[in-house]
Amino acid sequence: MKNLILNLNLSKDQIQKLAVSTIGFVVLLYVYFSFFLGPLNKSRDSMLASINDLQSKVGSSKNEMTKATNLEKQASAATTRYAALTNLSPEGAPIAWFPPRMKIFFSNQQIDKTTARLESNIPYKEADLSGWMRYNWMLDLPQTDFSTLGKAVAELENTEPLLSINHINIHALADAPQFQQVSLSVATAILKR
Amino acid sequence: MALHLNLLHEEIREQRQRQRDPLKIGMMVLGTLSALMFLYYMWNAYQTLGIRNRLNAVQQNWSKVEPKVTAAQKRSAELNGIISTTKVLDGMIDSRFFWAPFLEKLSRCVALNAQITSIDGTVLDDNKGVSVMIEGLAAGREPRAAAEELRQLLLEQLGQSYHDVKVEFKTLEDLDTLVKIGGANMAMARFGLSASFNPSATVKAAPPPARTLKK
Repeated sequence: MKNLILNLNLSKDQIQKLAVSTIGFVVLLYVYFSFFLGPLNKSRDSMLASINDLQSKVGSSKNEMTKATNLEKQASAATTRYAALTNLSPEGAPIAWFPPRMKIFFSNQQIDKTTARLESNIPYKEADLSGWMRYNWMLDLPQTDFSTLGKAVAELENTEPLLSINHINIHALADAPQFQQVSLSVATAILKR
Repeated sequence: MALHLNLLHEEIREQRQRQRDPLKIGMMVLGTLSALMFLYYMWNAYQTLGIRNRLNAVQQNWSKVEPKVTAAQKRSAELNGIISTTKVLDGMIDSRFFWAPFLEKLSRCVALNAQITSIDGTVLDDNKGVSVMIEGLAAGREPRAAAEELRQLLLEQLGQSYHDVKVEFKTLEDLDTLVKIGGANMAMARFGLSASFNPSATVKAAPPPARTLKK
């Protein structure tokens, strides 16, 4: 470098000016890249990334909406069934509507004076049934005959799909052995309201 | 040879020096570079502006689509919940034990010379099985045989629909009292039967008629 400067035959003043020009050039490059082109490129890159992100979101959203539409068609049977099952749980506390419902049901089956007592209610362990509660009831049928009871139980099991009889106790009345006293321990799945 | 004197020698030298001034040349180079860089910057800025417009358009499009997508996602989650809940509830419904058919079978097994006084049935936890205690009275010349007949019949009837059927006597004792059936005095026996079976494992389906015919 020194030889080059000597060959060019530059004076001291000229060398100083050349150095100032070089420094100016470096400063110009620094300012240009740091404060002008750099931020511009950065903002452009971030905008391009945002565009890609949004476009992929829009693309996936179309799939999502198509899936939802297809699911809606596929789930029509399930939603109808679910609506039917939820309709079995009327508004209000189960203790208020379940015993009268059972009383009416059994009186329609020619079994009078039926009483229903709530034994316990517990939530289901299954995560899918988080909106449902299991209610355990004791149904007492003070007097009935066997065939009427059989028909009533069949009707109960058919019309109340969410009810299951866990325990049944039938014993003949001492003074009228043609009649039986029955107690049923039943569990029902009831929607939390 | 004429003497040639260059009186402007110093001026010409100064002028040459001015022309060769590195600062001036440097400034010119810097100016040119600056102009080129400015032009490049402007070109980039123009492109960035285009990208910004594209971004605005995409954002506008997304803002239109987003509520629909959110609603679709919410509905999908809701539908999936409904499907899975319905599936679990259907599983519960299907795995119930139906007492009515059992009572019907039991009623078929009781002959005229037998009387059931008590039935106590329980569905075991997780539908592992059903256990039933049956108490009653049997009458006949050989009341124990009548009770045994009822046990056999019950075993046969339950075996048609359920698995792992067991019907065993828990108690069977003769009674001193006599009962009149069809005008004849008959001896009586009190029995206690314990029945257990598994309703969930259904009995194997009967072979198809074609195969039966071949046999």
